[in-house]
Amino acid sequence: MSKPVQLFCWHFMAYPYLPADFDEHYDTGWITVPNTLWDREKSRGLLNEYIDQLAYADTLGFDGMVLNEHHQNIYGLMPSPNIIASALTQKTKNGKIVVLANLLPLHGNPLRVAEEYAMLDNMSDGRVIAGLAPGGGQETFNYNTPAAIQREQFWEAVDLIHQAWTRDGPFVFEGKHYPLRYVNPWPLPVQRPYPPVWIPGSQSRETMRQVARRGYCYFLSSRLHGGAIAKAREEFAKVLEDAGSKYDPFRMGILMSVYVSETDEQARVESHEGIWYFLKNCLKGHLRNFHGRSLTFGPGIPNMELADYRRVLENTKPGRAMLGDVDDWDALQKAQSILVGSPETVYRQISDLVRETQVGNLLIQFHLGNMRDDLARKSMRLFATQIAPRLRDDSRIAFAGHFPELAGTI
Amino acid sequence: MDVMKREIAVRGRTVALIEAGRGTPLVYLHGFADVHGVAGDLAPFHHGLAQRNRLIAPAHPGCNGSSEFLQGNRIEDFLFHYCEVFDALGLERFALAGHCTGGWIAAEYAVRHPERVARLALIGAAGLFVLGEHIGDIFLHSQPDHGTSLASLRRMLFASEDAPQAMRYYPDGRGTLEEEMRRYGMLRFGSAIGFKPPYFYNRSLVDRLYRANMPSLVVWGADDRMVPVAHGKAYAERLGNGSTLRVIAGAGHAVHLEQPDAVLAQMKPFLDA
Repeated sequence: MSKPVQLFCWHFMAYPYLPADFDEHYDTGWITVPNTLWDREKSRGLLNEYIDQLAYADTLGFDGMVLNEHHQNIYGLMPSPNIIASALTQKTKNGKIVVLANLLPLHGNPLRVAEEYAMLDNMSDGRVIAGLAPGGGQETFNYNTPAAIQREQFWEAVDLIHQAWTRDGPFVFEGKHYPLRYVNPWPLPVQRPYPPVWIPGSQSRETMRQVARRGYCYFLSSRLHGGAIAKAREEFAKVLEDAGSKYDPFRMGILMSVYVSETDEQARVESHEGIWYFLKNCLKGHLRNFHGRSLTFGPGIPNMELADYRRVLENTKPGRAMLGDVDDWDALQKAQSILVGSPETVYRQISDLVRETQVGNLLIQFHLGNMRDDLARKSMRLFATQIAPRLRDDSRIAFAGHFPELAGTI
Repeated sequence: MDVMKREIAVRGRTVALIEAGRGTPLVYLHGFADVHGVAGDLAPFHHGLAQRNRLIAPAHPGCNGSSEFLQGNRIEDFLFHYCEVFDALGLERFALAGHCTGGWIAAEYAVRHPERVARLALIGAAGLFVLGEHIGDIFLHSQPDHGTSLASLRRMLFASEDAPQAMRYYPDGRGTLEEEMRRYGMLRFGSAIGFKPPYFYNRSLVDRLYRANMPSLVVWGADDRMVPVAHGKAYAERLGNGSTLRVIAGAGHAVHLEQPDAVLAQMKPFLDA
């Protein structure tokens, strides 16, 4: 028996009070979406409602709660995920607290990130998973970060944080971008040798290589269908081998969204408003190509070297549809990123996905768009009680079969 | 007229050049909507400049065949790059003209080495900070709207989004691989000096402009929405030898592409004087 698939509850913390005709009148949900739309009265208690949903996930036995960092948008109201993580250290007991991620170039001095993660690790008694990311797309505009040297700067920041946690202080960090005379953080993290580090990537080989070399976990941040995830996993496995390491399911994580109800029909009816709010409003300006201006990737975010950009042009068609461009349930189902149905339906889809991809960390978004609290909780509860146990049982056996070295890990 | 394309090497980097014409040397530093920035070849405006001068138009690092300068991330880095380029070309004293970012580099060079710049011409030049008169966000507008539309980018760079030159150089949809790579190379070069603050400006430059005491000319499109005309006014007021701002009606930022004859009518007597 192997350690089973790890099931995490991810909350994006969307702004749910947009006018019904938002899509008609506003061309983006990001950066320039006017904050005069923020309703101060309705929004009182909103962040606490979301925090309580994550605390509920902990009582349901999820393996962890996931947070992310976004700025100046309606998609995610967490410019500082560490503040939410701090609340979770007090409101939860068991699950990992996954901050995916702190966007390092936005933080000025990465030492601060090392310090805050160390604080969170102490406050949660060693439950932190530390995500580190360069930030992409919208954040490059929000915080002015896409200089040509951004990647080099990011990996230097990663190394500074790693060393701050593992080298005896005080020491001198002779970085090119972050030279520091004194690195000597107090407190140090609880976990030894350091909290697990997850790094998101969207299939860039270079990111995979850097992750492999450092022994971290690779989180595939693109919303892909099973076949494409399996291909990315194969690439990462090859990169790991080249780095003298070996793939196992817990070296990688993927993102999906789920809504579960008693029947397939009921699941669609109950989730309809939230899912379409998410697709048409939250993804506008992000993963939506045919309406508004996507700022996720493209020539105006020139942080790729020329040769890499040429390869992207050679391998893609212009104006391709993205997740937010789907117009009906059938197209949504084909995209395989938002799974909606009865416990049996969703179980089968995820079970197939795990078998096909052999990825061991599933980061699942339950609350979508303006979904009501009771519906999000019901979906989480049905998942935790009727799907999670079966996925765990299946994967204990399947992973042990494919990865003999994992046999006996639980 | 003979037009020659060639490459030289400086500090291990390739610099792509287009040269045309004969006479006293005139170095032209390009902008976005310009040769090397979007077009692979000289436009009628540049041919006009080459009628009585030896025109030398180097492509900025990463643009139109020039190697990237990966460590360059401040205007200072690129000034040293151009010091090397001018030395490699054996240019002791020359006329210097530039558009947009190229104009900025020209002005920065002129205040450092006034003895080498015989004449200075700035067209829609970036480089200055003018309170309340923001340089446009070309990066955001280079992201297609509705998947394929570049209308707002055209509106930023030209007098109108359906101006003929705008449609020629920035049509909707995806261009050929080479066109896309030229545009991307220019955006990537631009991002090194203009994406993060300071956004295509150097606050110190204005107080140094007095050092550029060679004859100078400042030309602007009346409807420039990338670098507002107020920047042209500031250049004209602060350049060392005094200068006059020539504003061309019915043209935007890419005034030299939209109204080449009107710009040449200012440039030629200035260069001949």
